[in-house]
Amino acid sequence: MRGGWVLRRVAMALPLAVGIVLVSFILLRVMPGDPVDIMLRGGGTSSEEEARALARQLGLDQPLPVQLARFVADLARGDLGESIRSRQPVGQMLRATLPATVELALAALVFAVAVGVALGVLAATRRGSWLDRAVMAVASLGVSMPAFWFGIVLMLVLAVGTGWLPTSGRIASQYAGTVPWRTGFLLIDTLLAGNGAAFRSAVAHLVLPAVTLGAELAAVVARVTRSSMLEVLGAEFIRTARAKGLHERRVILVHALRNALIPTASVVGLQAGVLLGGNMIVETVFSWPGLGRLVVEAIFARDYPVVQGAVMVYALTFLVMNLLVDLAYTWLDPRIREA
Amino acid sequence: MVLVLVLALIAAGCTAGRQEQAGGEAGSSEGKVLTLTLDGAKNREAELQVIAQYLKQVGIDAQVRVWEYQTLVAEAQKGTREAYATDWGSATFTPVDLAVPKLETGGRGNYSFYSNPEVDRLFKEAAATTDEAIALEAYKQAQQILYQDAPWIFGYYLDAIEAASAKVKNWQPSMDSRINLHDVELEGGDTLVVGLRADRILSLDPAAYRDRDTETVIRNIYDGLVTRTPDGRVVPEIAESWEQPDPTTYVFKLRRGIKFHNGEDLTADDVVYTFERILADDGLDGQPSPRKGLVEPLQSVEKIDDYTVRMKLANPSAAFLQLLVHTQIVPKDYVEEVGSAGLSQRPVGAGPFRFVEGTLDGQIVLERFDDYYGGSPDLPPVGPAKVKRVIFRMMPEPATRIAALQNGEVHIIQEVPPDLVAQLENDPDVQVKVTQGTRLYMIELNTQKLADPRVRQALNYAINWDELLQELYKGHAHRVATAMLPSGFGYDESLKPYPYDPAKAKQLLQEAGYKVD
Repeated sequence: MRGGWVLRRVAMALPLAVGIVLVSFILLRVMPGDPVDIMLRGGGTSSEEEARALARQLGLDQPLPVQLARFVADLARGDLGESIRSRQPVGQMLRATLPATVELALAALVFAVAVGVALGVLAATRRGSWLDRAVMAVASLGVSMPAFWFGIVLMLVLAVGTGWLPTSGRIASQYAGTVPWRTGFLLIDTLLAGNGAAFRSAVAHLVLPAVTLGAELAAVVARVTRSSMLEVLGAEFIRTARAKGLHERRVILVHALRNALIPTASVVGLQAGVLLGGNMIVETVFSWPGLGRLVVEAIFARDYPVVQGAVMVYALTFLVMNLLVDLAYTWLDPRIREA
Repeated sequence: MVLVLVLALIAAGCTAGRQEQAGGEAGSSEGKVLTLTLDGAKNREAELQVIAQYLKQVGIDAQVRVWEYQTLVAEAQKGTREAYATDWGSATFTPVDLAVPKLETGGRGNYSFYSNPEVDRLFKEAAATTDEAIALEAYKQAQQILYQDAPWIFGYYLDAIEAASAKVKNWQPSMDSRINLHDVELEGGDTLVVGLRADRILSLDPAAYRDRDTETVIRNIYDGLVTRTPDGRVVPEIAESWEQPDPTTYVFKLRRGIKFHNGEDLTADDVVYTFERILADDGLDGQPSPRKGLVEPLQSVEKIDDYTVRMKLANPSAAFLQLLVHTQIVPKDYVEEVGSAGLSQRPVGAGPFRFVEGTLDGQIVLERFDDYYGGSPDLPPVGPAKVKRVIFRMMPEPATRIAALQNGEVHIIQEVPPDLVAQLENDPDVQVKVTQGTRLYMIELNTQKLADPRVRQALNYAINWDELLQELYKGHAHRVATAMLPSGFGYDESLKPYPYDPAKAKQLLQEAGYKVD
């Protein structure tokens, strides 16, 4: 039953993925701006002939249906093409930047869930108290603060002001060249290299961007968790659990929290995709060389192959995240398995 | 998110089309008020808002519209807009890559559709002579004509402001953007970290990019035949000397004993190969180099002996040596083996630093090349670099670069915003240096829509640029009279920018048939 259900979800996802690829291809080409013109604008002495030669080499002088057919054929062979500007293979560019983005998104997710759930539970169990009001005020602030401003403020306070944390980048400069690239996740690569100091440096560099990226989600999680905890705490089965003489901590953390996390899981699952796709500002502020920064810059340069490849990565990520959310649902609430 | 951004850009383009149809032709009949939309990217919006106010004061119905820059350029090239804030950088310190492409008939950057056969003739005359006096006179005459024709609201250039830790010694920013780390010393440390303003650089193959920030990194790994002093003179580097037996021929004698980072000797074969792969249509793994236009009018390079090469030009060119500064020599045998992609992945040059590791969008680690021949004898100190290691970090956000500098994580940073200079100058651990920028900011006017030069002149007289620029850029913006930079050859200092004269602006508008009261 579970296997069949999963297969049906995957089957639904495939046409969606195909649609996203086609739509993004068309939208990219409709966007004003000529990548060859943008590329040759930097020096200023090029001739029309040179521009035409470049367009021909890049295949941009072909009719759109021909370009699309070529794109699909290349895709079928796992070839994402080459960046118009830098000539690098797109697959290589994505492999180089995706681990950085995923690492940051996961760290932000861990921070957001840990802090958000803790604050939500705290607020719910002390409903109406000053602590409840303080948590909700902080949550409102978290939702409304722009990541750009928050990131720079954190940087100035915790890095420049106190010197506790580094301002930017993924690892301190002195470790450059000492950690071989294996997975692209520096937390893993530093451990594989057996370099404890480098690992601690990677962790330290991750703190500010992860907090900045995760702050808004933490606020959302706190509010959702608080309201669902309040709802659950008023339910009959909680009263029954208390009547059985269970310790209050166990009542809250085992019985109530597990049920309260169902809507939280939904929010987190949907937002996790946003963490992956919406981190461009944070990556720019903290000089984090991830996928978000890559794709924004590629859009402004009209570097079609890079944008196309990144869009596909994002689309697949969202689909996978939604699938995982549904799986999490079935674990949290067994009744859904019958659906 | 990406799709939303893409949709937003397309919506901008589509909306422009619709609005243009609805608006129709700008008012141009007798006694009408002149209506004008000032288009620009977000970074020019504040400036355009103030300009719109000045234009209103002389009776022009002006409004501002903000665009994504590439979309605006695409629309301007279609001829649908009237006035648009643009910018253009010069790398050669001559009008060859600034005024000429912007204002020559049909020039690549000529978004104003300006066309004047006399200006075209003067530009060609200046480019074709090797007599500097003749070229200078031609450029001066061209500037006089441009001033009267006023195809733009003439603009300004910004200071290039860089900052460094006080521990950095012998550091001098260069107008041509190269951060020359060969001469730099770092007190108490052996690793110098540079914060670049770029998101990413494009390549580490000197033939495969066309980008200022990429060049900053490349020119620390590779050297060229010639290089440029901080004050703009061209001096020998790999070339020991050169002569010009006739107007279209240069003969370069190469210095002996120069080694690439892989131990190979640099000879004439490497020089010939370097230029031939740029000139060929398939020189980079089967693709043309985007730099071909930057070595124009070079026609051929041939080896005379192991240390002598001859270059033939299609026509005489006063700017040719300046252009050569930007071509770095690559090792023929190595590049033939690994290709352009391989060279970018693991660059091998003859410059003061060798590549250790790095990515185009993260950081690039270089270490001192101890067998370095010393670099240009005109740029002391001559010899290997002083610092042991250099790291370039991509740091696109200015506030981050500054925070990292003040935190000691970075030692030199590019591009300090003018409004943050004061903050840094108050820091005793930081030194701020200002040099002349080489990017010109202007407001181009569609000369097909605003065909009357009196209207365009009026637009220039109507704006109090001096007050505006002082407010926005704290004294770090400088006006120019037309389309040339004082850092470049041919700039006419005697020609002053249009003065603020609203009465004259009104008079000219009335003469052109517009109502101004």
